[in-house]
Amino acid sequence: MSPKLFFALALLLVMGTAPAQAHRLKVFATAEGAGVSGYAYFSGGGRAKGLGVVAAGPDNVPVFEGVTGEDGQFAFDAARRMDHIVTVDGADGHHGSFTIRAAELSASLPPGAEAVAAAVPVPAASPDLMDEAVARQVRPLREQIEAYQDEIRLRDVIGGLGYIIGLAGLAFGFSRRRG
Amino acid sequence: MAHIPDGILIAPVLVAGAAIAVAGCAFALKRIEPERIPQIGILSAVFFVAALVHFPVGPASLHLMLGGLIGIMLGWAAFPAILVALLLQAVLFGFGGVVVLGVNVMNMAVPAVLCGLAFHALRGRMDARLAAGGAGALAVLLTSVMVALSLALSGREFLPAAKLVVLSNLPLMLVEGFFTAAVMALVLRVRPDAVGGRTAMMEAAE
Repeated sequence: MSPKLFFALALLLVMGTAPAQAHRLKVFATAEGAGVSGYAYFSGGGRAKGLGVVAAGPDNVPVFEGVTGEDGQFAFDAARRMDHIVTVDGADGHHGSFTIRAAELSASLPPGAEAVAAAVPVPAASPDLMDEAVARQVRPLREQIEAYQDEIRLRDVIGGLGYIIGLAGLAFGFSRRRG
Repeated sequence: MAHIPDGILIAPVLVAGAAIAVAGCAFALKRIEPERIPQIGILSAVFFVAALVHFPVGPASLHLMLGGLIGIMLGWAAFPAILVALLLQAVLFGFGGVVVLGVNVMNMAVPAVLCGLAFHALRGRMDARLAAGGAGALAVLLTSVMVALSLALSGREFLPAAKLVVLSNLPLMLVEGFFTAAVMALVLRVRPDAVGGRTAMMEAAE
């Protein structure tokens, strides 16, 4: 066993304790009133800029097509109160998507391809403002939760290394029996 | 970008990849010498962790693939080493899919073995560090070409993606060539017997 291999491994481990970038393309979006905005990012870090965005209703008819901006962001206005599935396509086969539920959109929009069941009559005092305010406040929380879910934690790395060591040990053990 | 996610490739490519990966592993497992198992484990672990270490290069960021190094050090044992590491990366990190694992293993291990063989063939005739650097760079090139082919065969719409994969890996070829050369220079100086000897690799190839 070459000590230099240990050196290489130790070096990589040390460098790897910095937050790791992953290869998954993810999309996050929220609705405030009738406006939908969001961004595309790679789990663990950087934003995905210049990628194609498509938003479609439940019937797969596109209602918006665009390109993510410098910060991976995109925005559009929803015309109908239906589920919007936002998909971002990476150039090299990645794609990520996020669904905005009909209930997140403003109640004053006309119902969409799948009409919202039990259309609640909207009272005069606009609950829209409240919805928008709450959505704005909650958005950072939701971003944090999404990002948290994707983090690669040290325990994952150690688990993987442990598995490899264990498998090597098993392989060694079995080969000794045979030999 | 040798971690192709699930749901992109078509069935024939998936089946071919799985078959080649299994065949390579079977071939390797029959020939593994027990004394080399710890080394195989260590290199598999290095490969596993390497995907987490990113170097920013221009707008994108790259990570070392280490296919060349693994091929030189392990020969055919690169197959099981890479299989285990890729499987764990898929399950624990979500890098690459599980259904597409066979293809990803093939795309990484076949160039690794080929470059390992090339290194051992050329080692006697030129500066070993140069041979190692060339093998490291070539492995990156072959891997990205194979990834591009896998994508291109799965649909015309993937042709731009395929070209992008090859182009974006060109800087990595340089980095990895140097890295492989440096590591091999160290290994050859300190523990030359750690490298699969020419006879061992040639025998395995027969």
